[in-house]
Amino acid sequence: MIIVPATTGQMGVLPGHVPTIAELKPGVMTVHEGTDVSKYFVSSGFAFIHANSVADVIAVEAVPVDHLDSNLVQKGLAEFTQKLGSASTDLEKAEAQIGVDVYSAMNSALTG
Amino acid sequence: MAMAALRREGRRFAGSITAPRPMPDIRSALISEEQVPLGVRSISTQIVRNRMKSVRNIQKITKAMKMVAASKLRAIQTRAENSRGLWQPFTALLGDTPGVEVKKNVIVTISSDKGPEKEVKYVILGEKAKAQLMRDSKKDIELCITELQKNPLNYTQVAVLADDILKNVEFDALRIVFNKFQSVVAFLPTMSTVLSPEVVEREAEAGGTLGALDSYEIEGGETKGEILQNLAEFQFSCVMFNAVLENACSEQGARMSAMDSSSRNAGDMLDRLTIFYNRTRQASITTELIEIISGASALEG
Repeated sequence: MIIVPATTGQMGVLPGHVPTIAELKPGVMTVHEGTDVSKYFVSSGFAFIHANSVADVIAVEAVPVDHLDSNLVQKGLAEFTQKLGSASTDLEKAEAQIGVDVYSAMNSALTG
Repeated sequence: MAMAALRREGRRFAGSITAPRPMPDIRSALISEEQVPLGVRSISTQIVRNRMKSVRNIQKITKAMKMVAASKLRAIQTRAENSRGLWQPFTALLGDTPGVEVKKNVIVTISSDKGPEKEVKYVILGEKAKAQLMRDSKKDIELCITELQKNPLNYTQVAVLADDILKNVEFDALRIVFNKFQSVVAFLPTMSTVLSPEVVEREAEAGGTLGALDSYEIEGGETKGEILQNLAEFQFSCVMFNAVLENACSEQGARMSAMDSSSRNAGDMLDRLTIFYNRTRQASITTELIEIISGASALEG
């Protein structure tokens, strides 16, 4: 079973799930293999669940959660929050917002 | 005997013979000079020696180039094989439909730097393809990008490229043409197709391989159209990434096998030249001996 961070929230997928295309937002993907649990931070991407109970998760970037450095995450979050505050154009605002989203997701991945 | 010793060391006698010597010796001395004067019976070994030196140098150079290509290949091969997993989910979802009829075709050709009612436009990555296509379809070229291999390839770079292409070029179907890497000596020119979201919708409604697409639930608040748009863009960048890596692999593989065959050729040439050199050297020694002996017997008798 896996839990993927879809745009609508955490989505759990078990064999026999209805075929779905889900867009992912930055967050933690958990893979449960029997009793083994592995967590990966996914930056964004898609999850396809096919009719034959095969699920494909394609991400732009995926790292195991223990590879995340909490200091860098805090620094990044602070930097992008500040950029969001001082952004003037829509493009800058959008970019800063994306940065804030990703870093806060990483933050909650580390703490949660 | 001193003559033979000096010749073995490869010294040249540029006509500076001063001591009075019997005739046969002067003649053999002249043999070692580069210009072969009249009356000499054998070819100079100096010329052959020079050829051997240059062939040996060529062999060294091509061997070195082969090593460089082999090491680059090793580095990039694992990445290319891993990146194949990037587009496989897309094929599982959308199928591979090169035969779909579309109006606007955009062909993205990927090559190396140091290669009807239907409209066809080209986006070119790499010098070689540019040179080739400039001749035939100059007016159909939309974008031209070179010097891809300067920095090690990574996804971010390709994503920026894909973004650029998607923004500037209108398309119904994107066909990416590249050399797929099968082994060091075998590469297949392959074409991957990415359909635009509108075409995907059209095909899904019409049935056929994409008909199953409708059975998929769309998770999230976006409409099917938006999801398909994002999907198509992501698919394009994934396929491009894989294509660029495979192409680089194929290029290094081709270079490696070309250098390998040329160094082997140089080795063969060197063997042949060595045999010829030895034969020439032995012939001139034999001639010298004959002259000495016949001269000596002439003096006696």
